[in-house]
Amino acid sequence: MWTVPKPKYRNGSCDEGEITVNIGGVRVELFGDVLNRYPESRLAELLNCSTQNHDVISSLCDDFDPGRKEFYFDRDPDAFKCIIDVYYFDEIHIKPGICPICFIKEMEFWRIDQAVLDECCKSYLSEKEEELTEIANKVKVILEDLEVDRCITRTQRWQRFLWRLMEKPGSSRPARVIAIASFLSVLVSAVVMCMGTIPELQVEDAEGKLVEHPILEAIETACMSWFTAEYLLRLASSPNKLHFALSFMNVVDFMAIVPFYVVLSLTYLGTSSMMELTNVQQAVQALRIMRIARIFKLARHSSGLQTLTYALKNSLKELGLLLMYMGVGIFVFSALAYTMEQSHPETLFRSIPQSFWWAIITMTTVGYGDIYPKTTLGKCNAAVSFLCGVIAIALPIHPIINNFVVFYNKQKVLETAAKHEVELMELKSDSDARRKSKDGDPAEFCRSNKDF
Amino acid sequence: MEKSLAELNKAGSHSTSSLPPEPVDIIRSKSCFRRVRLNVGGLPHEVLWRTLDRLPRTRLGKLRDCNTHDSLMEVCDDYSLEENEYFFDRHPGAFTSILNFYRTGKLHMMEEMCALSFSQELDYWGIDEIYLESCCQARYHQKKEQMNEELKREADNMKDREGDEFDNTCCAEKRKKLWDLLEKPSSSVAAKILAIISILFIVLSTIALSLNTLPELQDTDEFGQSSDNPQLAHVEAVCIAWFTMEYLLRFLSSPNKWKFFKGPLNVIDLLAILPYYVTIFLTESNKSVLQFQNVRRVVQIFRIMRILRILKLARHSTGLQSLGFTLRRSYNELGLLILFLAMGIMIFSSLVFFAEKDEEDTKFKSIPASFWWATITMTTVGYGDIYPKTLLGKIVGGLCCIAGVLVIALPIPIIVNNFSEFYKEQKRQEKALKRREALERAKRNGSIVSMNLKEAFARSAELMDVVVEKSERPHDNHLSPSRWKWTPKRAASETSSNHSFNAQELCSPNKERETSPQRLNVQKLEEMYNQMAKTQSQPNLNAKERGSKISKQRDEIELGAIQDHGPRVIGAREVGDMKSLSSIDSYISCATDFQENPRYPHSPAMDLGLQESDRFSHSPATAFSQHGSAKSGQKNIREREPILTPVSVTKPSCTENTRRFFFSGKSLIPKGGCHNEGGSGLSPFSDSSVMSDHSLLSPEVSVYTTASSRTPPKSPESTTLAATVFTFHDSSISKYIDADTDDDEHLRDLSDVSPSERLLCGSSPKRSINYQKGCNHLEAAQKILGQNCLFPIEGIRGVAHENHVGPEMARRPKVERGRQNALDKSL
Repeated sequence: MWTVPKPKYRNGSCDEGEITVNIGGVRVELFGDVLNRYPESRLAELLNCSTQNHDVISSLCDDFDPGRKEFYFDRDPDAFKCIIDVYYFDEIHIKPGICPICFIKEMEFWRIDQAVLDECCKSYLSEKEEELTEIANKVKVILEDLEVDRCITRTQRWQRFLWRLMEKPGSSRPARVIAIASFLSVLVSAVVMCMGTIPELQVEDAEGKLVEHPILEAIETACMSWFTAEYLLRLASSPNKLHFALSFMNVVDFMAIVPFYVVLSLTYLGTSSMMELTNVQQAVQALRIMRIARIFKLARHSSGLQTLTYALKNSLKELGLLLMYMGVGIFVFSALAYTMEQSHPETLFRSIPQSFWWAIITMTTVGYGDIYPKTTLGKCNAAVSFLCGVIAIALPIHPIINNFVVFYNKQKVLETAAKHEVELMELKSDSDARRKSKDGDPAEFCRSNKDF
Repeated sequence: MEKSLAELNKAGSHSTSSLPPEPVDIIRSKSCFRRVRLNVGGLPHEVLWRTLDRLPRTRLGKLRDCNTHDSLMEVCDDYSLEENEYFFDRHPGAFTSILNFYRTGKLHMMEEMCALSFSQELDYWGIDEIYLESCCQARYHQKKEQMNEELKREADNMKDREGDEFDNTCCAEKRKKLWDLLEKPSSSVAAKILAIISILFIVLSTIALSLNTLPELQDTDEFGQSSDNPQLAHVEAVCIAWFTMEYLLRFLSSPNKWKFFKGPLNVIDLLAILPYYVTIFLTESNKSVLQFQNVRRVVQIFRIMRILRILKLARHSTGLQSLGFTLRRSYNELGLLILFLAMGIMIFSSLVFFAEKDEEDTKFKSIPASFWWATITMTTVGYGDIYPKTLLGKIVGGLCCIAGVLVIALPIPIIVNNFSEFYKEQKRQEKALKRREALERAKRNGSIVSMNLKEAFARSAELMDVVVEKSERPHDNHLSPSRWKWTPKRAASETSSNHSFNAQELCSPNKERETSPQRLNVQKLEEMYNQMAKTQSQPNLNAKERGSKISKQRDEIELGAIQDHGPRVIGAREVGDMKSLSSIDSYISCATDFQENPRYPHSPAMDLGLQESDRFSHSPATAFSQHGSAKSGQKNIREREPILTPVSVTKPSCTENTRRFFFSGKSLIPKGGCHNEGGSGLSPFSDSSVMSDHSLLSPEVSVYTTASSRTPPKSPESTTLAATVFTFHDSSISKYIDADTDDDEHLRDLSDVSPSERLLCGSSPKRSINYQKGCNHLEAAQKILGQNCLFPIEGIRGVAHENHVGPEMARRPKVERGRQNALDKSL
């Protein structure tokens, strides 16, 4: 049996400086001066009040054997073995195998601050805690969905219904139909946008300028109206308008809609108030580019894309690193190439900024062949820049990929975990209700155990 | 579950202490202690009764409510009221977390625990896995799902393999041979050669196909159009002829035509052949018709389809197959990759279009036109036929390059992961297949039997052989008496070592032991036992005399060991030192102990005077003696009558009586009682023979080895008892083997028996040996039974061995079950 090693010369003295505790069947003898290093901990308190009345003792420990002067705690002995280390070494290491969350609970019971946990174990703990919060968030979302309509007013109920219809494709059949329709409309509008630029499909307007085919324009308008309706309905049904307006997906939605209306109003203004036509045209052109934003609307329908954005958001540092490597490489190699190619009379590298392009294309191994070195030295430089480019891209990309894979795999796990958590909660609430009704059938005691 | 638990434990319920304590005592003990000591697998825990009350429906919760000895024994494996200690024979590691669940209300899982074994522990303690906290739950479910998936895959594979049944129809033998020749290149040298020829033909035909398009080699036909080179056309014809023949032969020999037709590899084969014939048909039928050009175009399309024959290589390459499977399995990630690329192309092509469209003679005329540029840039191919010229366009181009590298690289690792997993799995399966083939070959040679654990097991090994053969020919589902009869014939053809054992067993053990060199250690031990036995138990033996001499003798030996406490321990230690037993063997011997032991204490005489200290040494030894009697019983059966006759079955029951007698003598019970015992034991012997006979021949045997419970039990009464006992062995052993060898057959066993397995895992420890704290009885039992496994050969034939072990075990309990039933009745 495990006992704390203690000096022999104090073996006989069993005065108040020493207490015997029994943790779940493991007997340990402890010295008072050791325990008093952490006076706020449970054991130290027990030591200091051991002469007082029984109420205090029973509030601190689970059982007291006056004959053997043994305090009994109904706790995990394994975790205690780790926790007792704090009195000796001022730091705690989580024993491998014990779930850190569980261990923290034990530490709370012994009233030992989490701060004494050693750094090496802290990272592990925080990892787990992060996971738990993520699960908790998911659970919250699920619970919100499951929440029974408790809205009193009719408008609220209507709002909730609408919200589910628009935001939760899995909730009902109409909601799924709407989701599919929205997905298809995104695709159609994207295709139409591309088709509109093909010269063969364009028609000449009154002034001889090529404009989009009227049919395509009609489709575009229809899609835009659908997007607008969707956005407005979502906005109307959202419980928190500001939060809704600022969330990423809805910003994308907004960006997809706005250009259309701006263009519409500009052309209207341009024709009616005789603003400078060329300016209007240019503005319209610029706004047309923003129509590309609608492609991002697909992200709403694909968990993979969401994972991508999430991964990219989480690996901004690595992305920066990638760009920095590339930037440095581009500068170095374009300058080198420029100087080396100076000797050639028909050089394609006319200036350093111009050779930036060549450096990018070479380093990413694309190699269009519009600019290429002609001297031997330049060619050697090109080979080196190509190699460096491969390395510069491959090195920072690895953590990004890792992030992506981790998120991708985690998503599924978290989903099941969240579902499980909801089930567990249901079970607990069920048994709570049952216990209330029966009073004496505590199949599930977690709630009752909270005070422990 | 509880019910069957109770049933199983009925036999063992009286066993623990000398006299079952009165309910009053139990209640008093429970009321005077606030705490309770729980000893789980040797690790003591102390917990408040109050804590256990929190979950009253679990096993530990029930412990609180049990007020009678029987109900208490149902819940725990042993207890001592004086010590206020309850013993459970379970894994102590898992129990820590389970006890913490009672304490804190949070169920966490030990990191290093296997999810499956943890779930079994949870089942045993009666806790639903749903209580697992979410931090551990994710890992748990992931592992479990993975395991289930694997099991399912194994089951599918198994089904596939079993699908190769050649039933009823004509010349099944020949067809099977042909099938093996064509489909299983590893089955024979001829098949391998055939496979190589087939690969060569594929390579040849693809080379011919590509050479055919070289302008230098092409001929011109009468229309001035280029056509095939005549030599190459011949090559092509030969190849196609070979392919056709191969396909037709395969089709004819396939056991299931429709399945064959549907198989992806066979579809590829068909697609490789068909274009040729269609081409011939079209050109021949339309030779004179005017719309020759149209026909030519069609023919061209079919010519392109010829390239499909390169896919025929997939049949011969595991790597290609796994590639195909990977692509099929990771279509999600592939879709993601394509989606990413499509979005990137869309975005960058429109961006570059808007940047470049005002340029003079730009090639970015429209967004679809710049799709090509975006694709070539994102995949970093960069032909250079289109490239941006404006500054804005170049910036977009640079971003496009980097984005392309990123986007393509992202989903690839997931696909790669899938691939490597699948590839590993494929490799593992191939290995398992090879092992199984080796096993079968060894079985055919008869070499396996020689490695049997002990002569007692030889019998069961035969049985297993029978069963295995049966599983090869599944139409023969039952062990008919006639089959039974021919097993001894097989036995006769088995190796000599086996024979020598048999011979030995017929004679007195004392004389003949020395002959077999393999068993020297065992012999020494047994001689020692014998000497001890002579001093003490001989008179008893003389007083009571019935049954086979050998069995009695053996009993003596073991009983001597029991009575003389000290030497036995030494003996056991010795065995422990000497034994070279693999873990599996020891495990199995333990398992048998569990099985046998509870039955033993059944006799009331036993319950009386045994001291606590005796119990300690007693239980393993009892198990061993039980073993002995079982063995001798089996031996007798084998040697004398091929068919089970009442006479042969009496013997075990007789030996049992004698043994009981010894024990009672030891516990100072008047001999009259023992005689009585003997009488009552003898009286139902016809019944017992029926029972054992029944169980021996019961379909469960087949259930065991084929590991699928499709055979309906012959009679309901036998199933309730025998089946449960049976599956316990089955599952636990198969699990064990599984862990050891990762043989997929056993994996499948696991999946098939899982419900009963769970049940039995839950119940098994109940039947275990009486426990005394501080003594690792399990080890002791292992040591004693370790003798069974002392063969040096065993190491060499590891694989075969492992596979044999199960059935042996499977068989044993049945004999014992039969006897047990008899005993039940007699009591």
